[in-house]
Amino acid sequence: MGGSSSPTKSRWKKVAYGGMQPGYDDNHTDESFLEDMVMNANVVKRDVMKVMQDSISISQYLSIVALVGVVWTYTLNYMLDENSLLLIDVGLLVSGFLVLILTEEMLSLYLLFHYFLNIAFFIMGLYILAPIYKTLTRSISSDSIYSVTVSLLIIHLFLHDYSRSAVRAPGTWKNPSLTSCISLNASVVASVFVASRLPSWVNVFAIMLFSLLVFLFAPLVTYCIRKYSFRLHILFSVGLMILSLGLVYVLHKLLFVVFLVLLIFVTIVCPYWLIMIQEYKFEINGPWDEAKLCFDITD
Amino acid sequence: MGDRRQHRILVVSDFFYPNFGGVENHIYYLSQCLLKLGHKVVVMTHAYGNRSGVRYMTGGLKVYYIPWKPFLMQNTLPTFYGTLPIMRNILIREKISIVHGHQAFSTLCHEALMHARTMGYKIVFTDHSLYGFADVGSIHMNKVLQFTLAEISQAICVSHTSKENTVLRSGLPPEKVFVIPNAVDTAMFMPAPERLKSDEIVIVVISRLVYRKGADLLVEVIPEVCRLFPKVRFIVGGDGPKRVRLEEMREKHSLQDRVEMLGAVPHAQVRSLLISGHIFLNSSLTEAFCIAILEAASCGLLTVSTRVGGVPEVLPDDMIVLAEPDPVDMVRAIKKAIAILPMIDPQDMHRRMKKLYDWHDVARRTEVVYDRALKCSDQHLLDRLSRYILLTHLSSKFQRRVQRGIALQRASGDYSAELS
Repeated sequence: MGGSSSPTKSRWKKVAYGGMQPGYDDNHTDESFLEDMVMNANVVKRDVMKVMQDSISISQYLSIVALVGVVWTYTLNYMLDENSLLLIDVGLLVSGFLVLILTEEMLSLYLLFHYFLNIAFFIMGLYILAPIYKTLTRSISSDSIYSVTVSLLIIHLFLHDYSRSAVRAPGTWKNPSLTSCISLNASVVASVFVASRLPSWVNVFAIMLFSLLVFLFAPLVTYCIRKYSFRLHILFSVGLMILSLGLVYVLHKLLFVVFLVLLIFVTIVCPYWLIMIQEYKFEINGPWDEAKLCFDITD
Repeated sequence: MGDRRQHRILVVSDFFYPNFGGVENHIYYLSQCLLKLGHKVVVMTHAYGNRSGVRYMTGGLKVYYIPWKPFLMQNTLPTFYGTLPIMRNILIREKISIVHGHQAFSTLCHEALMHARTMGYKIVFTDHSLYGFADVGSIHMNKVLQFTLAEISQAICVSHTSKENTVLRSGLPPEKVFVIPNAVDTAMFMPAPERLKSDEIVIVVISRLVYRKGADLLVEVIPEVCRLFPKVRFIVGGDGPKRVRLEEMREKHSLQDRVEMLGAVPHAQVRSLLISGHIFLNSSLTEAFCIAILEAASCGLLTVSTRVGGVPEVLPDDMIVLAEPDPVDMVRAIKKAIAILPMIDPQDMHRRMKKLYDWHDVARRTEVVYDRALKCSDQHLLDRLSRYILLTHLSSKFQRRVQRGIALQRASGDYSAELS
């Protein structure tokens, strides 16, 4: 600076102090402008096959809910009696435990006993409450109950936590999010509503037990399967999808078409769509971004 | 300078005294200095409590507190046309020539700029903050900003980082954006008359205790520094939701006698708090400029700060120690600051700050921007409308333009590197 009037201008500096820089206007845009900008720094390249495989778990859950719906409909139309329902319940319970025992290497006898105890309490509670559920919605018309049930199921499907199992695998306790709680509650209320339209309290007990077993434990069981072997998970899902498609076909032709379209949309169209719109992904990062803390804040 | 034109400026923002903060300060000092330069300045803001109507401040600064109540974070409810009648009235009555809006999240500012443009006034906008591009709030704000700035005459940013950010967010051509930093009233922030004793070192923190100001970093840094340096004492001024965490930290490490928590500090007492310390610690996670650093430096304190946003531009390297926003590096920076502390002379630092920052200089530079704004050609209403239509397509086009620009820049950079 000190009086050295050299022909070359002093270099522009990216600083705010010291007033206007000699030789440069305030709106001077230097070559280094936006030098520190980073584009698409943390974009993950996705592969169609991978996305499709991941989307299978959504289709799988859709099929499970469809199966529940089918069982509900059959029971409401008196095509399934309480004995076969109870048989299904026992079958589900046993197969669920078998899956847990076979896939979970960490499962101790104590934990198993703990599970048994919990489920015993749970079944007893249901058994006691069944007569109350039976008369719960007597004063309300069936149509409103059915429409509310369908809406609740849709809410359940929308808010369900597909990324992780709603019920945690043993050892990984973390607070579930608000939406997954709402989703679970919606499914439970829907089951109560459906059960309350049934004629005998044994029926009510059986259907309640069935729905709650599925809604509470299916995520855990499918999570265990997926963790154990991905191929088994795919096979299991495809099997469930075919089973549910078949049963829905028997039930209603139009529903079958809708369900089929939904499954195709979820497993094939959506992954392609995601890959297609990937190229429009545009992230900008730079020094103006809020710094991220590199440690966990434990409140 | 005989032919210098006198401007009649209306400064609009939701943020003005009695509220207190960086923007409020900026508007007040800039207006005072512009008045001294012979311009006419009128400030317009919304009513604060029962402070409604016209007030006069020092130097004949006229302030309109228009009768609109704030509804969220001191912002008025966006009504688009609700403020038009009173705006028009003020603009005509005060014979305004330039409307100058401040701060991107002031709704009053956005509305005023829109109406002023419709009425054919030249408009200037100052951006005081940084925004990201990822979360919903920022995306919305950036859209609003694009809408307002689509027809701005000139824009001002407080730091070069802020200029880059504003250009990206609003799609303005960079040559329309000026960088004019904040300043500090050095006369108000004099260092302590005699040097503090150096048998203990006092680190001062003055900030709102919120996430964005890095209160969580403090929770990690303070115990570690206290462990390493038995002579260090902390004074924390400020209040906020994270205060509980800091107090918990103090209990947990039993540092009650070494970490003093003062709660909110009124601005008038900031100087007396600052001069009781040796080092000023700023832990912000994002900052467009950071006036607090200027105030501390003006009081002769050595500053330790996180390297975020515009902070690296604020002070010369020998007056500040920068650290990455992670506890380990910040402790390292504090260690370094303690080591170089004996070399720092507060009086000398104050004298240097006097030369580096001056509100009169800011006002003179802003004057240049006003002159340029008046030279901007008038735009026809049809042009303006067509630009709004373009705006909807703007984002994708603009992104491509930026990408191309960057590519070119990189290429030329490589080229010049090869030459040298």
